[in-house]
Amino acid sequence: MGTGRFCKETMGMPLLAAAILALMPLSAWAERSVETAFGTVSVPESPQRVVTLHEGALDVAVATGVKPLGAVTTRGGDNVARYLAPHFDDIAIVGVVQEINLEAVLALEPDLILAPPQLAEAQYRLLSRMAPTVVPLSEGLDPDAWRSETRLFAQALGREAEGEAALQVVDARASELAERLAGNEAPSAVLVRWMPQGPMVMSEELFTAGLLRAAGVAIHDAGLVREGVPHSDPLSFENLSRVDADWLFLATLNEEGREALEAAKESPAFARLDVVARDRVVPVDGQLWTSATGPLAAQAILDQLYDALSP
Amino acid sequence: MLAMQRLGFLPDRRLYRAMASLLVLLALVCLASLLLGAGDVGPARAWSVLMGRGDPEARFVLDSLRLPRTLVGLVVGVALGVAGALLQAVSRNPLAEPGLLGVSAGAAFAVALALVLGATATTLRVGVAQLGAMAGCLCVMGVARVSGAGNDPVRLVLAGAALTGLLLSLTSLLLLFDQRAADEIRFWIVGSLAGRQLEHLFALMPSLLVAAAIVLAVARPLAALSLGERVASGLGHRPDLIRVLVIVAVALLVGAATATAGPIAFVGLVVPFAARALAGPDIRRTLWLCLPLGPLMVITADIISRLLVAPSELPLGVLTALCGAPVLVAVVRARRMPTL
Repeated sequence: MGTGRFCKETMGMPLLAAAILALMPLSAWAERSVETAFGTVSVPESPQRVVTLHEGALDVAVATGVKPLGAVTTRGGDNVARYLAPHFDDIAIVGVVQEINLEAVLALEPDLILAPPQLAEAQYRLLSRMAPTVVPLSEGLDPDAWRSETRLFAQALGREAEGEAALQVVDARASELAERLAGNEAPSAVLVRWMPQGPMVMSEELFTAGLLRAAGVAIHDAGLVREGVPHSDPLSFENLSRVDADWLFLATLNEEGREALEAAKESPAFARLDVVARDRVVPVDGQLWTSATGPLAAQAILDQLYDALSP
Repeated sequence: MLAMQRLGFLPDRRLYRAMASLLVLLALVCLASLLLGAGDVGPARAWSVLMGRGDPEARFVLDSLRLPRTLVGLVVGVALGVAGALLQAVSRNPLAEPGLLGVSAGAAFAVALALVLGATATTLRVGVAQLGAMAGCLCVMGVARVSGAGNDPVRLVLAGAALTGLLLSLTSLLLLFDQRAADEIRFWIVGSLAGRQLEHLFALMPSLLVAAAIVLAVARPLAALSLGERVASGLGHRPDLIRVLVIVAVALLVGAATATAGPIAFVGLVVPFAARALAGPDIRRTLWLCLPLGPLMVITADIISRLLVAPSELPLGVLTALCGAPVLVAVVRARRMPTL
């Protein structure tokens, strides 16, 4: 029994290596190199078969004009995020962020893999044997991390100029919004995810929060989110008044945000909030507002913000 | 009094004393549940509301938040405590507990499935949860009747744990694949009293009344059944009918509790355990004591769930499991497993 298994393992290793070698197109190798969390990585001159294992990387690829062959699903979904879906007729799903289907990645014969910042080293070792794998350096929650990620992924794709352009579009849009709001005191806002037993307040350090700040909205977490944590525990209904602000963005993974708002209004503690009385509660798509990152996500969020703030 | 004796309940001095002190305790805990919370309204402000004064903010917190969840806690506690006692008596197994045996998980899975299929109405949820609880009950009783398992309490619990695990993972699976209802379903994995309202409670009343009628009818035959099937038959009872009625009652009770508060484990284990410790194994006595003991446990756990991580709250199901697990270990480790 034991010997048999041993034989299988030793025979499997060279087979796997041969398969990986056979799948690597020789032409893909070139001198371009990028700095990643796992050191310097050589990437092909112009990658043709890109697989993204990170929502932000998929966003950057689409923004810079690259169509990846495969991607992971959005959080809580079974496909890429809705705001990106129109860009694809067909994209192979290679698992969810927490659980990547390595065989599906291998089957796509990638020449470049764009991975999330929190990728485990063991996973990195396997993936980097299939194709050069680009992992951004991360230092906890940082509302501006997406900018350096965008530059890194754009560089890996050989599209630095397009990446910079995409960032500039976002910055221009944000300052345009900020100008419209200038003159008055910055409106305060809180972003929550609605749960039947209470809302979870999202951190000030998230991508969306940084974006809203850049657009002149004073987003805050009501002092409820511990440092380095993306959101609070479900808040007690007795403390719901803490999320009262000029604007309340109600994120839900439901497609029909309105439905979630109706569900929330059933709760008497929510219905009596000042922000509800002023009708300043904006249901937003949680896939976009609490899960996605990247220049296209930023534009979509700013567009929705513009629609919400325009009288 | 005479009516009670005819129905088979035998109140005596010791039972009265235990009952009276438990009711006093329960009243105190309910008062504490009104006075304490995760918010800014402290005991002093809450007390002045109870005295008929108090500011509007405190009045709102008491009327719309703490009072409903206390009442829901009362009903859920009674339902789960009584369901546990019934299930233990009918399976003659001190470890039979709706939460451990997959009955609650069956109810929660049924509700999650209904949500995914597009249901929203409160009334629909109660019925669906009760059907799910019934399916869970039937699975468990099926296992109990398989030769051997019925005589070994631990094996029944193992079967129940497997069923619970299966149903919980199916619920999680729905959560993975249906983003539409994801946040709604998350609630159906660990129970909570937060955000529950009185309307939720009114929807339960009809089925709870039916369950109460069944309990009154089967208490006496159930006590006879504990002496063995032959004795019960000899006394003119019909064991199979009793079992069916008890399962219906347990499904109604657990389904109602789960539809309101989500799956809450261990209440049905700890409460009858404590009741037996106070009043002996006769189901007619333990059922009485389960009435105050159930809400006592649920509301106490709910108060702790509000205070531990204020201004946020812990899910109630986590706390009842923390209280219940030691009791489970104690029962299993007891030198001689008590048989019912």
